[in-house]
Amino acid sequence: MALFLGSFLCAKGDLLVIKNARILTVTRGVIEKGHILIRNGKIDDVGMDIEIPADAEILDAEGKLVTPGLIDSHSHLGLGPSGGVTEDNEGSDPVTPQLRIIDSIHPDGVPPHKHSFQHALSEGVTTIIARPGSGNVIGGQSAALKLLGKTVDDMILVFPCDMKMAMGRKAYGAKGLMPVTKMGVAYLVRQAMLDAQHYKTAWEKYENERKTAPEKQPPKRDLKNEAMTKVLNRELPVHIHASPVDDIMTAVRLSDEFDFFKLSIGHGDESYKVADELAKRGVIVVVGPQMIVFDDEGNLINLADYLVKHGVEVNIMTDADVVQQEFLRFQAALAVKYGMDPGEALRAITINPAKLIGMESRIGSIERGKDADLVIFDGDPFDIRTKVLKVYINGKLAFQADEEREKLK
Amino acid sequence: MNKSKGLFIFLLLGAAWVVSATVGSENNVLVIKADHILTISQGELNPGMILIKKGKIIEIGETIPAIPEDAVLVDVTQTESWVLPGLIEAHTTLGARSRYGGSNSDETSNPNTAQLLIIDGINPFDKRIKYTRMAGITTAMISPGRQNVIGGQSAVLKLIGKTVNDMTLLSPAGIKFSLGEGPKDTYGKKDRLPTTRMGSAFVMRKALIDAQEYAQKQAAFVKRKEQEKNAVPPKRDLQLEPLAQLLNRELTAFIECYRADDIMTALRIVDEFSLKAVLIGCTEGYRVSEEIAKRKIPVVCSPFGIGPRRMETQDIRMDNSAILAKAGVRVIIKSDEALGMGSLRELPLHAALAVKGGLDKKTALRAITLSAAEILGVSDRIGSLEAGKDADLVIFNGDPLHYHTRVDFVIINGQIVFERMQ
Repeated sequence: MALFLGSFLCAKGDLLVIKNARILTVTRGVIEKGHILIRNGKIDDVGMDIEIPADAEILDAEGKLVTPGLIDSHSHLGLGPSGGVTEDNEGSDPVTPQLRIIDSIHPDGVPPHKHSFQHALSEGVTTIIARPGSGNVIGGQSAALKLLGKTVDDMILVFPCDMKMAMGRKAYGAKGLMPVTKMGVAYLVRQAMLDAQHYKTAWEKYENERKTAPEKQPPKRDLKNEAMTKVLNRELPVHIHASPVDDIMTAVRLSDEFDFFKLSIGHGDESYKVADELAKRGVIVVVGPQMIVFDDEGNLINLADYLVKHGVEVNIMTDADVVQQEFLRFQAALAVKYGMDPGEALRAITINPAKLIGMESRIGSIERGKDADLVIFDGDPFDIRTKVLKVYINGKLAFQADEEREKLK
Repeated sequence: MNKSKGLFIFLLLGAAWVVSATVGSENNVLVIKADHILTISQGELNPGMILIKKGKIIEIGETIPAIPEDAVLVDVTQTESWVLPGLIEAHTTLGARSRYGGSNSDETSNPNTAQLLIIDGINPFDKRIKYTRMAGITTAMISPGRQNVIGGQSAVLKLIGKTVNDMTLLSPAGIKFSLGEGPKDTYGKKDRLPTTRMGSAFVMRKALIDAQEYAQKQAAFVKRKEQEKNAVPPKRDLQLEPLAQLLNRELTAFIECYRADDIMTALRIVDEFSLKAVLIGCTEGYRVSEEIAKRKIPVVCSPFGIGPRRMETQDIRMDNSAILAKAGVRVIIKSDEALGMGSLRELPLHAALAVKGGLDKKTALRAITLSAAEILGVSDRIGSLEAGKDADLVIFNGDPLHYHTRVDFVIINGQIVFERMQ
């Protein structure tokens, strides 16, 4: 009886086969005319010759192209317009590791970005890493969100997914507060790490003493130090906004000192100058919204491509709303335009960001057992004129192209 | 990717390879030979040749019967190359505003600064001018920003030269106006006129009415002078003078406006003063496309929401330019100066986005060349590949609207100003 009920529930909607598509699996090459079986929100099977259950809903995708759902490695979606009243920079204190980005996100987007989540979906973005802004030295805790759900809580894939910091920004200078200089910025990070160390020691001492003296009072909880302890313990990756090469190396120096977990640099406009330093430490660069830079001699540098060719792992981002969320694939297309391998560019908006948040077993490629987050295109995903036809998240149809939806754009 | 195999530059009768720096110097004769030439005004040549002498296009056709002996040949046949007229950015603050430096494009001490000339605020050594040129954009209208209701006098510049004088093709090209959030935000903060949209409209009307009176006084003086040799001329007013020229339709009003109501305010004032006008931005043009079309006012379309949106641009649609074109409006496509896809260098990709929104390819390519030249008043010089026009051209290594395509050569005034290293 139970078995019967189970298969009955799966019959409609839960069992879907996308047939005859060109499948860019990302991790396992290209399948020219393949099928994807989706069961209960997961990819049950993928290949040219898979068993297709009789009761499965069939979607013929002949002549179409399927990629994994795209992942934006750095976004401020749902946080309000940059330059306007934003919800991502708590400008009252330069060190705010206790803040949680999920407490600032409106799941529909706020004007002038109302419907920004829908717009993102309509161009194939299924997951974003939402981070606090770069106004503070330590901005707060980031979140990886799937773009499906009514509340931010429904959307959470990983929270917290990293600690956001920013080098070289001196927003407090005008207020006469530290940091006025770049060295002030670095000092504040070091001090916060030392405070966390003290806090951690105090708690460890308490836990030890409690064994023999149960009446011992615990230290006072401190939300800042609690958050930074996770950084200290290497439980939480660190993402640092840094563009000029001095700021990048300050971030690297801090990481060397405190052994940051999975350090990634955001923007990294001058990271090409120290690609070797980054490569040998395994530092990841999240490139964008500036994709192309010019060196001191005026030569064009295709940043993402240059870094990959020099052994640095790269993610590509929009920094939405600096570049709007829906233009993620075009950011990658720019890298391809100036010479990056298209496969590498696709990895930078799929599996690489999945790895950055430790979710490579769930998202970022089309493989058996992974979440059924898929995008169906009517052609080359990097061509400006190509349309997104359907988007699935957890096997659910999250977007479908039609005249009305097109007009929303 | 690399399509360099068939790419040759050589002296027709010479033996050696030519160093680009010497190519096309003052009197040099240049011949372009390609499988695809898009003239914009007279269809395509597949294949075709262009003869260039002293910075001008002398002859263009399927073949050039008599090639001068001293001609330098740029032969891009056997590649997928397309030759187009140099691209034109119809509205930008390039060179007058820097991402890192201050702004020289908005004199925010007064909402009416019609007396200002943008050429006095342009730095020809701004590196972005060079980067923009390298992407095939050979001419731009540089104009004041959107913070003042009347920003000042814009200019059309070629993107090559050490001095603004060398660069200038036309100055003044027109007067820049701005309605909507720009002036409201700027002066609202200071509690000065205009803090509202109606305030901005008033600033514009008041200035134009003052200019009418000024023009009448000038005309009266000219008449009086016929009888009275020693008649004293009225005092020159640098602010009203260009506005009087605008009323005479000697200059064009470039009006930046985004929301449908701001567009209609612009049209109301255009009607009242019979202005020769071009609308800039026009995010919600699709809502009032017939109103714009019936007045035969061209529109320079803003980017397609790539960069940060403002409240007034939140209802942007990718089919805006297609809807306007369908209604009969002459559409020009401009880029953003934002980052990534929005950057000025990617002007052809902005045209590609318009195609994605439903604009036909031919109109989209015209929108970044000849249509732009027409509304800027320089179509006698640039915008298409025709005999007699300036030899400003760009050679793409493929379909200019395809994201893979790169710029191989940029030629301005018959000189090769950029050649991509293969």
